[in-house]
Amino acid sequence: MTYRIVIDGLACSGFGDCADVAPDVFELDSHGKALLRVGTSSDPAVLDAASACPMGAISIEADD
Amino acid sequence: MKTDPTFWLLARASGLTAYILLTLSVLAGLILKSRPFGRAVKAASVMDLHRLLALLGLASLGAHGTALLLDRTVRMPVAGLFVPGSSPYRPVAVAFGVIAAELMALVVVSFSLRRLTGQKAWRLLHWSTYAIFGLATAHGLLAGSDSAQPWARDLYLGAAAAVVFATAWRATYRPSRPTHRARATQAET
Repeated sequence: MTYRIVIDGLACSGFGDCADVAPDVFELDSHGKALLRVGTSSDPAVLDAASACPMGAISIEADD
Repeated sequence: MKTDPTFWLLARASGLTAYILLTLSVLAGLILKSRPFGRAVKAASVMDLHRLLALLGLASLGAHGTALLLDRTVRMPVAGLFVPGSSPYRPVAVAFGVIAAELMALVVVSFSLRRLTGQKAWRLLHWSTYAIFGLATAHGLLAGSDSAQPWARDLYLGAAAAVVFATAWRATYRPSRPTHRARATQAET
């Protein structure tokens, strides 16, 4: 299973939970905003990261 | 002539309501970070609840102040609601409530202004929530005319215990993370 990840830059408020939950996929820029290290990932931790985002700024689409 | 107790009753009820809503909002904020329910509860939903409770708490504070102005029992001047220490009724205890209310309004408004103030400033200001809760508890216990009642003491004690417990939980336990093995198993299915 491959997950396509999209961050809503306007909604992201820099809580940083995504980078905490899935550090291989997310990182924070100098303003604390979330950035993607990769566009897709097979790591299910991205689902936890999306669920953990307080602003609901991460959407995940699963590709078979 | 007997004074109409309507606004005095409303002032007491709205003050207690504001305190309960503040407590629930603080607890929702702590759950937001410690995530004791894992993926079962979306953080964004808890965030919405956290903000809604804070806004309702502010509305109750508005009702609390308005009822005190209209009441004839303590005869609160307008300045008494905004300037700490200027209340003729239990000035120190009321000052705790005034400071807590003003800080709470600042924290709520700061969420909408965080793009201007920056994330770090907003986070720093958000830490004052612990002071707000402490001041509000002291205000309720020392200024509230119901504080001598066992139910009121239980309410303040229960709220303080819940916030202390949730804070300790947040400080002690990290949110559960899937292990590498569990991740691999999930990825295969």
